[in-house]
Amino acid sequence: MSERVLIEGSEAMARAAVAAGCRFFAGYPMTPFTELLEHMAGLLPEVDGVCMNAESELEAVGMAWGAATTGHLAATGSTGQGLSLMQESLSEITNARLPLVVFNMARGQGDYFQATRGGGHGDYRHIVLAPMDVPEAVELTQLAFDMAGQWRTPVMVLGDYYLAHTYQAVSVPSFDTAAPEVPNWALDGSTGGSGAAKIVSPLGGGVEGEEGFDLGAHYAACAAHIQAMATGVEPLIDAGFCEDAELVVAAYGSVGKFVRYACLRLRDAGHRVGYIRPITLWPFPSEAVHKAASGSAKAAVYEQNMGQMVDDVRLATMGTVPVEFIGGPSWDHSGFGIGPDINVPDISERILETMP
Amino acid sequence: MNSPLAGERELMLTGIGGQGVQLAAQVIAQGAIADGKEVLVFGSYGGMMRGGNTDSTVVISDQPIEAPPVLSATWSAILMHHQYWAPLRVLISDGGLVLVNTSVFEDQLDRDRYRVVEVPATDVATDLGNPLLAAMVMAGVYGRTSGLVSLDGLVEGMRRSVPPYRSQLIEANEAALAKGWEMAA
Amino acid sequence: MSDDRLFLSTDKPPAEPASLVDDFTPGLITQANHHLCPGCGEPIAIRAAMEAAEELALAERTVAVFGIGCYTAFAHNLDVEVVQALHGRAPSVATGIKRMLPEGFVVTFQGDGDMVNEGLQEVLHAAARGENITCLLLNNGVFGETGGQMTTTTTLGQRTKTSIEGRNPHQHGHPILLSDLTATMDGAAYVARCAVNNAGNVARTKRYITRAYESQMAGAGFSLVEILTMCPTGWFVDTLEGPEYLQNTLAPVHNIGELKTP
Repeated sequence: MSERVLIEGSEAMARAAVAAGCRFFAGYPMTPFTELLEHMAGLLPEVDGVCMNAESELEAVGMAWGAATTGHLAATGSTGQGLSLMQESLSEITNARLPLVVFNMARGQGDYFQATRGGGHGDYRHIVLAPMDVPEAVELTQLAFDMAGQWRTPVMVLGDYYLAHTYQAVSVPSFDTAAPEVPNWALDGSTGGSGAAKIVSPLGGGVEGEEGFDLGAHYAACAAHIQAMATGVEPLIDAGFCEDAELVVAAYGSVGKFVRYACLRLRDAGHRVGYIRPITLWPFPSEAVHKAASGSAKAAVYEQNMGQMVDDVRLATMGTVPVEFIGGPSWDHSGFGIGPDINVPDISERILETMP
Repeated sequence: MNSPLAGERELMLTGIGGQGVQLAAQVIAQGAIADGKEVLVFGSYGGMMRGGNTDSTVVISDQPIEAPPVLSATWSAILMHHQYWAPLRVLISDGGLVLVNTSVFEDQLDRDRYRVVEVPATDVATDLGNPLLAAMVMAGVYGRTSGLVSLDGLVEGMRRSVPPYRSQLIEANEAALAKGWEMAA
Repeated sequence: MSDDRLFLSTDKPPAEPASLVDDFTPGLITQANHHLCPGCGEPIAIRAAMEAAEELALAERTVAVFGIGCYTAFAHNLDVEVVQALHGRAPSVATGIKRMLPEGFVVTFQGDGDMVNEGLQEVLHAAARGENITCLLLNNGVFGETGGQMTTTTTLGQRTKTSIEGRNPHQHGHPILLSDLTATMDGAAYVARCAVNNAGNVARTKRYITRAYESQMAGAGFSLVEILTMCPTGWFVDTLEGPEYLQNTLAPVHNIGELKTP
């Protein structure tokens, strides 16, 4: 670990990515993702890595896909809008069983379903990590690369404008310039001519007409892998004051930090309110949410949209407590999902109105 | 139980582009880090580099910061100019600390609600040879008055904050910080 | 044409035992059996591409990137490393591979629907970037895999399932001549167009592909070889008429020859 520095979220995440072993990045500028791309462009050459200012999001994800096949840790990213363009590739990359980290610096919270339901065609999910602030983003970026490699799957880090542009004091890990270990499935051309050249394909491997080539079996294996992640990835959650809470409020990401702060202040003022902040949005920490809400009379969900994560909270609590949606779409004229609706007094008021 | 919020101190700065508001926020924040504290900074400014509104928020604590990047109340404020200060005016907490640049600030302050420290920052900076040093003077006053940042911390913070192409200003900035610190005695 | 055809006599037993198809299969094609239609030009083009790779001793450094079309069947039949990409997206995937394996040899296989319809910006951006990869365009002027619909390279007057009276410029627009377009770009080092409709053209195809590969190995920049291939099924012509149809329909518009050399 290096010294503590005051650093913008975008730069902190870029530094954490390179420190985690990321050696390829491709992206297309779009607010509030742009600064992450700029920092990757500045940092990756320091470790002989490659950053591409791709001509489009379609090409950015394609380039990252290609880089990932070589066994080097690769990443891309955008906003939810750009992620819409990338979904076709992200679905296929998932079935090709490739590690990839996707930084989604979203505009507001309208893209929860896009992030957690697979987002593209096909029957798949991605691991999704939602940091609330810069120090947590540094930790989760490292975790994202670890998980991507471990599970051979795309992992999304879901941030937003606040995360991208807030400066905080953090210790950013130093870069390891040693040549990374390349996994055995990775391509470098060397098995050509051996009679058993490798293939990386969303349609599976094997030689056509021979045993082992079976698209149905491949899709079944992909489905089994999604299921293995659903049960095998450790769900992460931050919860507080739930033991004696009359109301627990759920929220995620930067907005989760506003809600958490509102709850801390309401606690200081003597209100029996608790908070739950899912950190892995997929797999959703259903058991922990269920447990945290089980002692309270009511649960509420605050998110800056028409009500998306509220579905997951309702599924997690399975009718054991009433779950009320107290969020709503952003009023922000900039389109970036920053205020004026996201403010502690407004959130506090909604919480107090919902108290049983 | 001690509230995790008890140790957090907020500072909001307002001014017009070109007054060094963002730099002052950086210097105070970097200074607090040099002193070993936890810090959060969130800045916003209009499209114009010079003359537009510019605000910044700094939160300082001995513990990990609980505050989100946008505050609904602040313990302290630095008012470099009155032009865009209306939104900030209502956020200053009762019993808070307000530093005002009396050289240019022309508006009424709610003096019964908080402690006001008058700093003719632009005049002092002009005497030091450059009116653009006003924000550094203010940062020096703030460090000592708030008790949140040491002079050594401010100087170190300034060195970390000044971009390389402005390195010729480091000495003058240091003098302005020291002057502000001295004025707050 | 008919004079050139080979007729087999069936009135007496063969003088030699039958040969296995594998005997004629290039070393880098592992499985010669494919389910592409009789008369299809794509296996000939892929064969030329793999023979050229073998002759230049590129097998142990090659990564081939496949688009989506009939030729995708060969992605699993090659003895070089393969990445299966999406329809249209092979040049970007190839870019990511080449940037991380600068010593490697990277080639894409794409059809006209893949490269010139769905992925036009990909190939043009890769060319403009001077990306040191080789893209092979198997151009038959139709969507073969879906049964003969119009693509952007379909020539005026050409009948397809979605231009049943022939491609009409007022209704369907004009064909894109991809190689001509690419040859104008500074980042393109080698651009050539050839065909596989007769023995001479097949030999030329292999020659052009070899030059493109050599250009990549010399680090010259982007290379494109467009190969006109027969699709008698998608063209609704008899299998044996495919080569002549190519000559009369595609070749007069998509002119054969080297368009840009290093």
